[in-house]
Amino acid sequence: MASTGVKGFFREKKKGKPGAAKKSNKSASCGSDVVQSPALISHATLDLQEEYDEKEEVLRQFDMNMAYGPCIGMNRLERWERANKFGLNPPAQVENLLRMEKANYLCLWDGRA
Amino acid sequence: MEVDSENGLLQRKQATYQSLDETFLIAKETYKGQQYSQIYFARLHLMRTMLYSLLPTWKPHLPSCTVLGLEQGKECIIVGTLYKHMKLKPSVLDEYSKERSASPLVQPRNFLHSDDYLVLEDESGRVKLRGALLLPSVYVTGTVVALHGKETGAGDFELEDVLEAGLPHQIDRPLNSGEDKFVVFVSGLSVGSTSANPLHFQLFVDHITGHLGGEKEQGMAAQIVQVVIAGNSVEIGRGLLNGQNLGSRDQSKLSEPIKELDILMSQIAAGIPVDIMPGEADPANFALPQQPLHRCLFPGSAAFNTFRSCTNPHSFELDDVRFLGTSGQNIDDLAKYSDATCKLEFLERTLRWRHIAPTAPNTLGCYPFTDRDPFFIEMCPRVYFVGNQEKLDTSVIKGSDGQVVRLVCIPKFAETGTAVMLNLRNLECHALTFGSQFDS
Repeated sequence: MASTGVKGFFREKKKGKPGAAKKSNKSASCGSDVVQSPALISHATLDLQEEYDEKEEVLRQFDMNMAYGPCIGMNRLERWERANKFGLNPPAQVENLLRMEKANYLCLWDGRA
Repeated sequence: MEVDSENGLLQRKQATYQSLDETFLIAKETYKGQQYSQIYFARLHLMRTMLYSLLPTWKPHLPSCTVLGLEQGKECIIVGTLYKHMKLKPSVLDEYSKERSASPLVQPRNFLHSDDYLVLEDESGRVKLRGALLLPSVYVTGTVVALHGKETGAGDFELEDVLEAGLPHQIDRPLNSGEDKFVVFVSGLSVGSTSANPLHFQLFVDHITGHLGGEKEQGMAAQIVQVVIAGNSVEIGRGLLNGQNLGSRDQSKLSEPIKELDILMSQIAAGIPVDIMPGEADPANFALPQQPLHRCLFPGSAAFNTFRSCTNPHSFELDDVRFLGTSGQNIDDLAKYSDATCKLEFLERTLRWRHIAPTAPNTLGCYPFTDRDPFFIEMCPRVYFVGNQEKLDTSVIKGSDGQVVRLVCIPKFAETGTAVMLNLRNLECHALTFGSQFDS
């Protein structure tokens, strides 16, 4: 019941990148694309830069990737370090974003779930 | 400690001790609002990596896949955490259900039902298990296993074979070497309880410190190198713990059991190294791993360096013999949610599943670790004990790689007056019973 309500609420569009969900991948990552609420559309222009840019997109994909475990309750750097410790080879780009560029530490669902 | 005797002084034997409790301490952990999904993920990852390494020797020709990757009719191996759906398992939601019968909500001691079924779960999904191989009465939620089978038309997984983790690696140590040295296990002292006889505990203390008996008994006592108290050492009256403000007389009643225990512990610590573990009834935290009882509770005994307050579960090495054990909460929880002919069978199962407390955090309180699972057994112990059981029971089990483990169930001292003596040389156990009634 809840899922059909949410699906209608958010518009999903396929990313166009091939292999987003390959069978040969051990992880089944769900990357659903944004996430633009109709309520935020003002004057028929989409408010894309709310708090969310390309870097955040990469981090959100990292959050959603099930191979690295649940994301709620941990901050992203800790989750990256845990994935590293377990030998899961998390993408180095995520580590860079979190350490060097001081991107948002908190996961996608922080405070919302 | 020396005892005067005609032939000269009797010296107590000594053994080298090394504590392995570091993994059970939670002082360095911080709670950031994480849920139990994190510890389940850590457990699954840890055990799945280990099971994958065993697959080539078990069934090398079969592919392994995730639950989501199952194809109908194709034989494969899946690894995941078991979840047992139990009809009678008490749920907190029962309190809010509309139909409330007159009978109390949680009644039976054992929640098994013939309709229970098992489900295998990993990060990608879950699948119901069918087949007579995996008995729901044996397994519990939280065990990680590898299963061989195929998906049926109905979407269930038809089982053909099961692989458990098996006993972990054990360091080889020749047995029957050296001299007789004894470790004494006791649990369920329940000091302060109305049913426990304080005389029995005093007799026990006097015997092991060598204050009783003639030369022969003192000689036996001199061979004791370590005492382990496995939980439930005090019993504080339930009437005092119902949340009301206590008057000064009640407050002193609250602390009397601990003070009495401290006096007796300092008598033991004066002569023998003693390890005390917290149990369910002790003034320690509720969730496993229980942290060591605080030193301020034992002002007299803590002055001795032979006094050690330990965690529950407790792991240590004595003369290179590895010990591992708990105060009973893990085995008692298994007894509520699964079936076996005796408690030793539960002990054996936890060893073969390589996990001390598989039902944590499902039905057993547990700290929400995020990146490790301290209950995973990495090295096989030589002695695996559990405290606060109904009677003394012991057996030896053997692993596929030549591992040998002595299993010991320690009885409640307050009820049975029995402690366990284990010989380090050959790992044989016998009972040490104290009574004060004599039929004559």
